[in-house]
Amino acid sequence: MSTLELDHVSLSFGSVVGVDDVSLTLEKGEFLSLLGPSGSGKTSTLRLVGGFLAPDRGTIRLNGQRIDHLPPYRRDTATIFQSGALFPHKTLAQNIAYGLRMRKVSAVEIGKRVGEALDIVGLAGMGDRLPGQLSGGQRQRVALARSLAVRPAVLLFDEPLSALDLALRVRLRAEIRRMHQAYGFTAIYVTHDQGEAMALSDRVAVMNKGRIEQIASPQTIFHAPATEFVHTFVGESCAFSLRIVQGRVQSDAGDDLPIVLVNPLHDGPIRLYLRPGRLLLGEAATQCPNRAIGRFGFAEFLGDTWRHHLEIGQQTVIVDRPDRHLVAKGVDVEIGWADGDMRIFR
Amino acid sequence: MTRRPGTSHLTTLALLAPALLLAGVLFGLPAIYTARMSLNSHLPGTFFVPDVTLSNYATLIGDPFYRNALWVTVRLSLLVAFFALLLGYIFALLVWLRPRRWRVMFCLVAVLPLMISEISIIFGWAVFFPRNGLLSYGLIASGLAEEKTSLMFTEFAAFVGLLYVTIPYCFFSMLVVFDGIDRSTIEASEDLGAGPFRTLVEVLFPLTRLGMLVSFGIAFIWSIGAYATPSALGPDTLWTAGYLIQGLMTGQRNWPMAAALSMLLVVLVTMVMIGFRAIAAQGRRGGG
Repeated sequence: MSTLELDHVSLSFGSVVGVDDVSLTLEKGEFLSLLGPSGSGKTSTLRLVGGFLAPDRGTIRLNGQRIDHLPPYRRDTATIFQSGALFPHKTLAQNIAYGLRMRKVSAVEIGKRVGEALDIVGLAGMGDRLPGQLSGGQRQRVALARSLAVRPAVLLFDEPLSALDLALRVRLRAEIRRMHQAYGFTAIYVTHDQGEAMALSDRVAVMNKGRIEQIASPQTIFHAPATEFVHTFVGESCAFSLRIVQGRVQSDAGDDLPIVLVNPLHDGPIRLYLRPGRLLLGEAATQCPNRAIGRFGFAEFLGDTWRHHLEIGQQTVIVDRPDRHLVAKGVDVEIGWADGDMRIFR
Repeated sequence: MTRRPGTSHLTTLALLAPALLLAGVLFGLPAIYTARMSLNSHLPGTFFVPDVTLSNYATLIGDPFYRNALWVTVRLSLLVAFFALLLGYIFALLVWLRPRRWRVMFCLVAVLPLMISEISIIFGWAVFFPRNGLLSYGLIASGLAEEKTSLMFTEFAAFVGLLYVTIPYCFFSMLVVFDGIDRSTIEASEDLGAGPFRTLVEVLFPLTRLGMLVSFGIAFIWSIGAYATPSALGPDTLWTAGYLIQGLMTGQRNWPMAAALSMLLVVLVTMVMIGFRAIAAQGRRGGG
């Protein structure tokens, strides 16, 4: 039996749709990310599980019990808020003990668990400090410790790292992953950062306009995106609007384009999606089953890669290569890619 | 108070100077004049006779009439301050918890009592409380009372009148305090298993403790110095300190006695404020 089950859950704010017919299940010990742009419904979905919002339709079950009508304090969930939401007038130990006191855990047990929780997040011996004396990263560690201490059925992360700077974010991300590997908690993690979602999760649910576009492993999300939205939102992509007419590739306007696709396609309009990092240029491209001729424009240095801008008809293709492809502006260059590196949507 | 490095005492003083000067001229000088006046003596037919005596204070403290007036004033003010804080707190909490778009409307409603002159408000109550007033008709119409009743010229009317003008001060000061609280701490409390009442006691009260003291202090000081409202709405026997001072000034023309009573009020309020500061300082470690 799954730990958490959302069954056709919908919620609207007046005329604005917040969450649109979302269904998902979470297994015990699973780490699921809700990934999407702002307004995609990911935070609303999390708040529905936490009890801060009530669904208009659908049911939410936790360990088989319906919880969608229960207030937050009657649900076995614990949220790590974006701001940390520590109680500023309580010490770290008192903050962590709070949920245990509410659950009527014995004083001895509370002392033990507070110590453990501080240990886990690497703040042992700091129980007497007040939250005001901590850095942003430390505050989020305490927030995590406070939620872990009550041993909830599901941990709910509400963009806990988004207020921190990049280096700290990457470090804490790895720590959360390590803790999940070590302690095996069940979690939903809301983020708009695809790196976080990919690095942390067993599965990622990509959300857009209140709906789940795709829910799958990070690898599947990246290599086999189910929709155009997922392709553009996760990873770099470049897209072409094309038409297939008797096996030939044409632009929208009806001009023949120098693109050869190895597998013949049905006639009709298509959208071709490519990953810039998976394209080959020049000599290397000649061996590829799918090829195109692009007119070289310019190259940008991005650090790890050079980004080459080329024109095919009226459309731009970008190709990221580790080395600069040295040709003059306006020269035709061959571009190639394998079947697995393109997605076609109709 | 924390001082940033590089800010000298002199700069601080220079920045405070205009405010200090204004306060000194407008509040300091009259206070000194009143203090001096309270030491003069009085003969019938004169406003005062220059003198240095503590006899006015001796009369105030010795005479049960004045002692009673001070007690009545303090009791009324404490009651008003308590209920103004209670209602202001609830009102501010509700406004703080609502979405922000409602706020302007609520604040306008709250500021209304402050935009009407005290005299107009008193006249308003004068058509509300009497036998043939709104309250009386309302009670009969709703079946809560069978006969017309008048609450005009009762201590209750004076209490309501004072409450009406002090609630806005409590409301706004509490709203500012609530705005300083991270709203997600309330959600975190509920999330960790505390119901609304536990959240109020464990999180909101400690975080608003200092604000409550300030709010109570404002309402208390406002009521203790009030003169028109309690004397117009209250019974003839409700002799508050403010009413007595006015009587001594303009009725008996005994300025030294009026000044002494005023000074006593100032001392009383100061004592209350010092008490508050002590409580606040005590709660600072745990409060905020």
